[in-house]
Amino acid sequence: MSMSKLVLAMKRPKSMFGAPGAGFNLVPLQVLVPVLSTLIALGIGLLIIASTGGSVSEAIAAFWDGMAGSDYNIGASLNRAITLGLVGLGFIFANRANLTNVGGEGQIAMGGMFATAVALHGAGNLPFGLAFIVSMAAGATAGALWGALAGYLKAKRGTNEVISTLLLSFIALPLVYWSVESFHLLRKPISDLSSLPESPEIPDTTKLPLLFPDNGSPLHIGLLLAIVAVVVIWLVLKHSTLGLRLRAVGLNETASRRAGLRTSFYIILAMAVSGGLGGLGGAIMILGQQFYLTSDFSSGYGFDGLVVGLLSRGSAVGVVIGALLFGFLRSGSINMEITAHIPSAVVLICQGLIVIIIAGSAILTNRKSNR
Amino acid sequence: MALLELSHLTKQFGTFTALDDISLGIERGEVHCLLGENGAGKSTLCNLIFGVHRPDAGTMLLGGAPLHPRGPAEAIERGIVMVHQHFSLVPNMSVAENLMLGRAKAVLKPQDIIIRMEQLAAEYGLEVNPQVLIEDLSVGERQRVEIIKCLLGDPQLLVLDEPTAVLQPDEIDALLGICRQLTLRGKSVILVTHKLGEIGRVADRTTVLRQGRIIETVAMEGADIRSLVRSMVGRDVQSAGSVLAATIDLEQDAPAHPATGLPSDVNGAPLVPEAAGDAVLRLSDLVYRDADGVTKLDNLSLAINPGEIVGVAGVEGNGQSELGLILAGLASPTSGSIVVGGQSLDGCTPQQITAAGVGIVPEDRHAVACIKELSLAENLFLGAIGKFSRFGLLDKSGRRKAAEAMMREFDVRASSSDVAMSSLSGGNQQKAVLARELSLDPLVFLLAAQPTRGLDVGAIEAVYGRIRAARDAGLGVLLVSSELEELMAVSDRIVVIYRGRLVGELAAGSFSREAIGAMMSGHEHV
Repeated sequence: MSMSKLVLAMKRPKSMFGAPGAGFNLVPLQVLVPVLSTLIALGIGLLIIASTGGSVSEAIAAFWDGMAGSDYNIGASLNRAITLGLVGLGFIFANRANLTNVGGEGQIAMGGMFATAVALHGAGNLPFGLAFIVSMAAGATAGALWGALAGYLKAKRGTNEVISTLLLSFIALPLVYWSVESFHLLRKPISDLSSLPESPEIPDTTKLPLLFPDNGSPLHIGLLLAIVAVVVIWLVLKHSTLGLRLRAVGLNETASRRAGLRTSFYIILAMAVSGGLGGLGGAIMILGQQFYLTSDFSSGYGFDGLVVGLLSRGSAVGVVIGALLFGFLRSGSINMEITAHIPSAVVLICQGLIVIIIAGSAILTNRKSNR
Repeated sequence: MALLELSHLTKQFGTFTALDDISLGIERGEVHCLLGENGAGKSTLCNLIFGVHRPDAGTMLLGGAPLHPRGPAEAIERGIVMVHQHFSLVPNMSVAENLMLGRAKAVLKPQDIIIRMEQLAAEYGLEVNPQVLIEDLSVGERQRVEIIKCLLGDPQLLVLDEPTAVLQPDEIDALLGICRQLTLRGKSVILVTHKLGEIGRVADRTTVLRQGRIIETVAMEGADIRSLVRSMVGRDVQSAGSVLAATIDLEQDAPAHPATGLPSDVNGAPLVPEAAGDAVLRLSDLVYRDADGVTKLDNLSLAINPGEIVGVAGVEGNGQSELGLILAGLASPTSGSIVVGGQSLDGCTPQQITAAGVGIVPEDRHAVACIKELSLAENLFLGAIGKFSRFGLLDKSGRRKAAEAMMREFDVRASSSDVAMSSLSGGNQQKAVLARELSLDPLVFLLAAQPTRGLDVGAIEAVYGRIRAARDAGLGVLLVSSELEELMAVSDRIVVIYRGRLVGELAAGSFSREAIGAMMSGHEHV
């Protein structure tokens, strides 16, 4: 019940922090609460590090270095934020139709796998950048179909999409594992150097062009694509007829049907777009920085992206902030583990705390404004 | 001394003052009616007494001791119980199980509940089978369960918030009888209503609220009911005419229409009128079986001509809801045909039905007619979202202009077209739904199902004004209502539905309560 209450509190887009006359008029609560909760969570993280005998100053240094210590690290953090942001956008898109897509993990996996397959088999020789565009499109399509499947089950059979997207993830992840384990599929031939279960490296033509090829930053044009996606999703959700129709269907399916909306179509569409954004995120991970498929490449991104979407409370701008926060946190935690030998689990704990504090304060402010 | 003494109660929601300096005493053993339009503060007052809300200022005394309930549980402990407009029963549990909820200690003792139910049945005539599931009960029976739930603990004060809005005439009679029984046993009843007829029949005293203030409290013995109406609406109601009088259940003209026996066309005459060609709506042999195979509509045939209002009378649950769903395109008939303006609607989607010129005011406004979280303008153009768009983007200013024009034309009152539908009063919501449906182009037929349910007097007047005007403009109207007086005041023709079949028809001028009532309960030949 606690989880459902948290999700409920976070899904309610308005009337959350904007309790009139609640006090903090200088800084809007929408900003204050997330910032404060992040600081509190990081403070608790430091306490954990100190109490387990780690060096706090070393940890902070390693953490900062990993997040933004160099052009390379900044680029890597941003690249992580791109995928998180795309999954988060997908979440709020489906959520506009009152659908909760928790299958980002599986949609990333499908997107990454199909992008790799297309990049390895056929797209490599396409001219004019079509090589990576087609590969990316293949990934997005795979994710969209994976999402649409859940949408179809919801619209035609009434299957709860929380269950179906989660279970579809449990199918997608082993599919990726299978594809990199099997020589008939994507596994690279065993050579003297390597026998790991992973795909061969994709052709250079299918790799996403770097934004700053000269300074060694891995930041690629996926960033531009993500910015476009943010603007488009913002526009669609806020100002388009499609956004209004999705909202209507999500709020009251019967009334929408009576008003002449094809509700099944919009449910499937919402899930397809949501899954497509996740698939695109997965494709960009492979085509942008990793360049070969491994079985657990999506690990955690789907669920972090889901949290980004939840925390944004339906706002595309919120997704950007959340994606950046989680992208940089993840980079920092990886470096902290490598150089300061502090388990990255500490950062995972912090992420969890951020979610709980924000959601908890949402419940509190809701209660206050209801009184 | 009064049982409940309220002094100077004030309650605000944000900037809106729901109750303003309310002072009132409820005596032991009286039925005290609260009368007022929607938004007058009746429900808020009840919620203060029951501990749902807390007053911003003022005090309450119960039996001389201060009353500050911090929640319904505390109010119940003090002997105050309330039946809300919306029931709080678990549909797939039995009556006895529902009664045990929230009151059972660690060990469930169904036997105690059943014994207590037998006592209550003997005392008040509140009979319900304890083993039946709530979902199998009618609305009236569910309300009876709510009342039993309230009486289990032997309370001093029973608060009923618009209990009769959902009831059939005979169920209302039974409820009012129960109220009297309660007062005979020294209990007090607060009855919220806006039906004056009920007040005349049951109230000892009546308090009229308007805009959060008490206008007057009158003892009903020898009181003039018309003056109550004036206090309630704040103006004279003579202009309102017979519709108003009928809908607030004033039987002023009742003796003028003595039962003249049954109209001649009841006995076996065909229900479909002769003028066949130009009917706007023609239902032929409509059969509908629900998912469980239960026949809800049984060979129903009906034709509606342009420029007439056909009322459908019947006890609720005799197929009216299903007929409404089928006409709205939300259910498909098992067999039979629907023809609108010469065009068959077999297998049509709601969109196609709208395009054929059918307007629908469904009985369940919140579930089917509007989306309360969306704005008024968005609801006014729910079916025409694409009408105000450029390249897929919303043309909000164009929509606002059109919405404001519609609001003016149909007198929908809201501070702007951008406010949430949920912030409108029930009456204005219904006017908005009517505005949308009556603005359809083309429009040849309107279904209005329970169009005035839960509305206050002013809104009822407006709704019927609109429906009549539409009729006068040549529309065919099918009016489904459970308020007999309303049907008799508005319809040009009344058909009676019983167990999914039309069992009788009365032409204008031959309406009689007795005849319709008899047919409604299945007595085809009185």
